[in-house]
Amino acid sequence: MINSCKAIEITNLTKLYANGRGINDLNLEINQGEVFGFLGPNGAGKTTAMKAMTGLIKPDRGDVKIFGYSIRDQYELAMSEVGCLIETAESYPFLSAWDNLKLQARYYPKVDTKRIEEVLELTGMLKYKDEKPRRFSLGMKQRLGLAAAILSKPKVLILDEPLNGLDVEGMIEMRNLIKRLAENESITFFISSHLIHDVELTCTRIGVIYDGAILNVDYTQNILQNYASVENYFVSEVERNGRI
Amino acid sequence: MAAFKAAFLNELEKLYKKRKFLVALFISLLVIIAGQLVIIGIRSGFGLRGVGSLEFPVLVLSIVINTILPLFTALVTIDCFSGEFSRNLMRITLTRPVSRFKIFTAKVTAICSFIITNLLLLFLLSALAGFLFNVHSATFTSWSKILLAYLVSALPLFLLALLLILLANIIKNGTSVFFASVILFLAMKAAGVLLSQYSGLLMTTHLDWYKLWLADFWPWDKILRQFGLMLGYGIMLFTAAFYLFDKRDY
Repeated sequence: MINSCKAIEITNLTKLYANGRGINDLNLEINQGEVFGFLGPNGAGKTTAMKAMTGLIKPDRGDVKIFGYSIRDQYELAMSEVGCLIETAESYPFLSAWDNLKLQARYYPKVDTKRIEEVLELTGMLKYKDEKPRRFSLGMKQRLGLAAAILSKPKVLILDEPLNGLDVEGMIEMRNLIKRLAENESITFFISSHLIHDVELTCTRIGVIYDGAILNVDYTQNILQNYASVENYFVSEVERNGRI
Repeated sequence: MAAFKAAFLNELEKLYKKRKFLVALFISLLVIIAGQLVIIGIRSGFGLRGVGSLEFPVLVLSIVINTILPLFTALVTIDCFSGEFSRNLMRITLTRPVSRFKIFTAKVTAICSFIITNLLLLFLLSALAGFLFNVHSATFTSWSKILLAYLVSALPLFLLALLLILLANIIKNGTSVFFASVILFLAMKAAGVLLSQYSGLLMTTHLDWYKLWLADFWPWDKILRQFGLMLGYGIMLFTAAFYLFDKRDY
């Protein structure tokens, strides 16, 4: 049951590693239907934040709520409407693409073979459904990972560098797919990327993370009114905070 | 319960599709054929009776319980945990709407199912070989006792699996877990001989507890004592292994 119009609420999220890196006191609210872009250089804390959001790591402090359900205390409920692709798209190398999705479909009573076929078609993987991922290229693995992420028709999609390994054609297809899902099915996206141009083209709101802290969050429309591009905005935000 | 069922079915399917199950079955069959050939050789070469149909499955159990069964259990358990940790495959399950406790329990249950299936297959194959090639000397009661001996042998193997799961959650590398478990197994075997007064406390000693169930009159005091010890070990190992599995960052 959806009991809040806020799709994602991140409160005081902190996770610090022994080397001092990580995220510190992150606070964010993502509204339903938004395509949120999480921008930051390598090592800024994007993946750490996304891992904490999906329960892959336990934060030192703070919490993440998805449609009001806490990832710490109500994990199954919180994740029931979430699809994700974190860091690299993993799949069982000894199972075919179809079997990989069939295994994951077991967690969702509404997902049937028709839906598996549908997501394979959407991601351009239908013709490889009987092949094993050990023979797939990085781009094909990424497509299969995305198929697994959207399999359950989630209301929230958390994607960490979803365009990794995709060719130009694949990037354009993926961008269009994200836009289509956001517009037609009101899916909320939380996308991290270091490809600023893609974030500019896809996301409706952008947050900049640097050194484990959020520098600023603004709507893409507002950013483009004040800056020539999101890249200029990103550089300016980082400079303004005295970190370049 | 639905999430646990899905996780359990997935673990079983992964086990089956990795063909480890079929390899285990094939090696079990080889062990029985080799054992039977030895018995036939003894009988025809030395004129000795060897074993009757009833003794053959017990002979097989006494050999496999200390050799191939712990080995198969180790390989499957390490693959199920260390294999998935090292290739980041655990993330596939962890990012689904299923709690870590259910994932952990589903994995443990799948490993236990593998152990029981392996034992039952060994029993069926050895019983069949016993019937076909050896002197018929069995009654229904004695067969049911042997089946029970095979089934109760699962308990110490469950403990071994839990110990391996604990090691897999402490040591990162699967190969290191395997070698650590082999060294630990041999050390416990050696300690059982060298420190015989404490051997009752060692996990490896419990591997032979099936012998208690083969007695004409079951020694309840010994059975209960060993069962209590194994239960205690089981609870402690399960709790410690789950604690580490739950605290882990993926």
